[in-house]
Amino acid sequence: MKFDQIIVNMSNGMHHGHEAGERAGGVSLAGLEDGQTGVIVSVTGGKMLTKRLADLGITAGKEVKVIRKTLFSGPVQVEVAGSKLVIGWGLASKIMVEIR
Amino acid sequence: MNEEKKINIVLAGQGNSGKSAIFNYLTGLHQHIGNWAGKTIEKAEGTLFYRDHTIDVLDLPGIYSLTTLSDEELISREYIIKQNPDRVINVVDSTNLERSLIFTLQLLELECPLIIALNMTDLAKRKGITVDSKKLQGLLNVPVIATVASRGSGLSKIIDRVIDMKPCKSTRKIHKYGKEIEQGIEKISNRLSGIDLPYPLRWIAIKMLEKDGDITALVSERKPEAVDEALRIAAEIEEIHGHDSPLVIADERSLLASRITRETVRIARDRKLSLNERLDALTTHKVTGYLLMILILGGMFLSVFSFGNWFSEQLDSVFSGLHKWWNASVGTTFWPALGWSAVESVLALVQIAFPYIFPFYILLHVLEDWGYIARISFLMDKFMHKMGIHGKACISFIIGLGCNVPGCLSCRIMESRRERFITAVLVTLVPCSAVSVIVFGLVGKYVGLLWALGLYVFAMILIFIVGKISSKLMIGEPVELIMPMPDYKTPQIRTILSQTWDSLKEFIYIAAPIVIVSGIVIQAINLAGWMPAIASVMSPVTVSWLGLPAVTGILLIFGILRKELILVMLAAYLGTTNFNEVLSSTQMITLAVVSMFYVPCVATISVLWKEYGWKKALVITLAETAFAIVLAGLVKRGLDVFMV
Repeated sequence: MKFDQIIVNMSNGMHHGHEAGERAGGVSLAGLEDGQTGVIVSVTGGKMLTKRLADLGITAGKEVKVIRKTLFSGPVQVEVAGSKLVIGWGLASKIMVEIR
Repeated sequence: MNEEKKINIVLAGQGNSGKSAIFNYLTGLHQHIGNWAGKTIEKAEGTLFYRDHTIDVLDLPGIYSLTTLSDEELISREYIIKQNPDRVINVVDSTNLERSLIFTLQLLELECPLIIALNMTDLAKRKGITVDSKKLQGLLNVPVIATVASRGSGLSKIIDRVIDMKPCKSTRKIHKYGKEIEQGIEKISNRLSGIDLPYPLRWIAIKMLEKDGDITALVSERKPEAVDEALRIAAEIEEIHGHDSPLVIADERSLLASRITRETVRIARDRKLSLNERLDALTTHKVTGYLLMILILGGMFLSVFSFGNWFSEQLDSVFSGLHKWWNASVGTTFWPALGWSAVESVLALVQIAFPYIFPFYILLHVLEDWGYIARISFLMDKFMHKMGIHGKACISFIIGLGCNVPGCLSCRIMESRRERFITAVLVTLVPCSAVSVIVFGLVGKYVGLLWALGLYVFAMILIFIVGKISSKLMIGEPVELIMPMPDYKTPQIRTILSQTWDSLKEFIYIAAPIVIVSGIVIQAINLAGWMPAIASVMSPVTVSWLGLPAVTGILLIFGILRKELILVMLAAYLGTTNFNEVLSSTQMITLAVVSMFYVPCVATISVLWKEYGWKKALVITLAETAFAIVLAGLVKRGLDVFMV
């Protein structure tokens, strides 16, 4: 596949259009169990925060797997964009996902 | 020197991608390498001579983006644009290609002469990941060279490429965004034409759609109409996508990185759980993780201190022989005695550095290089949040157990000034190895080991309470933890030694001069015979409030230099090392508590000064001193009731 084709595919495959209110049946990343996988639907929160997450590949449309959580709503260890990350609980509850 | 043969290159990449390892390999300088992201805080420079060329290499901080405006990201961006380096080497972690590419795409937008070092290919192979570098090169249209920085392989190829690469003015294909964004970029670029800014027009346009405050301000001074246009287009994009336009752009960039990764990366999926994954599961588990953490840290701590005590005793006998020799051959009058105080300061530093701090940092860096420190941050994050900081602060706390100086310096890894400051204040309350010498040498030895350990628990509770209070006092939102989790890897002896040296160097360079000079000053006051007067001035505090012998006033002054001096001089003043003959258990515990929490030592104060200004350093010093005195007095009264 050539570069330009990728781009065409990219524009077709965007997952935008989810308003913050559209959370019916939605679950946050923090709500997933160990080992569960979801597709990110939306990331709420401040601009700096969403940018920071986007820099690490955490954006709508990405698949994310919860590797494990800690005790007492501590941080969540996830695998997203092919790499392992630790995300604080507060942040993880702002990332809405659709369970796969 | 021949101008044409001088080349300057910049290493840019995300945290933990191996930039520092490449830098060290190229320049032979020891840049601190750690197995957690965000290690390079100040940029490091070095020079390399190769094939008749002088190549200046600059290592930028590990950053994830050129848009979120943290200081480091801003510095990096400004450097790449304004210093106009001949080549930018983008170090890419091949085990984390997708995430790395998000940054690479931003570098490409900057239209700088780029070479990609596809690093850690050995680790990738072990994880069953193969990256088709030819295909990647074709898609990105920049040279891609596979490297293994830890072994130096592929690096000469990169430098060859740096030298042979023609100074290109980008003719390369540029990746494109979705239709409406591209149209927007074009419209804004047209408005921008002729603007007096050193950046590529397309890049400026993208930044304006990303609502970059800096760039927008620069443009509005020159072409305010372009800013209006950008705002209008951003609103249009938001209308179509239902998201903020910076987010739309970030999403598209991120998805493009996904697609390129899918095109170029093959992962062998059918492997069984690797050793790494099993180890990760065990060390981050809800139960075993915490147990192992206590075991590992406790074991490390106890082994360092039992080794340290033994080693320190050996040194003691050597040094006391040296003192006798000095007195006999140089003399004991004023000047020789003052001279000895300088020698003694050096010896005392040696006595704390080699038996305690050195082995402590060796073990700490073994854990760090192995990848364990990041696990501690993960396990402790929730607890840290209660103090208004997050898991990464644990690293500073553990470093502070060795010596508060590098502990305070390491607070730079925290993202915001607020976090950095709170962490630094709390680190000054962490019992460093000098304080531990007092606690174990006094309380542990004469009152009981449980009491000594109890003091540590007490310190932990106190740090927690102070953290809780200061997080309430300091305004600002707590930053959430976002941290890449490194894989476990075999620690490299060379890396560990050079890191240990770096930590020790901070102790030696920063602490030693201050300690030696103030040691001489205090000794001069002592020799002038003013100490008894000072001791009596302090006696309302030391004798009446704390119930200690008046002489401790002098000890606490010397203790500002280095806290372990309190114990050393206590023996000298009381004429015995058998402290239970001269001090009651309550007195020992009271003295230990004051020593733990009063004035951070002079070297730590100087670091606080350097990092946060003299006002804050002074406030911390005075507040902690007052606090320690009040606290120790209360502890004494409590003990009086219970220990009769």
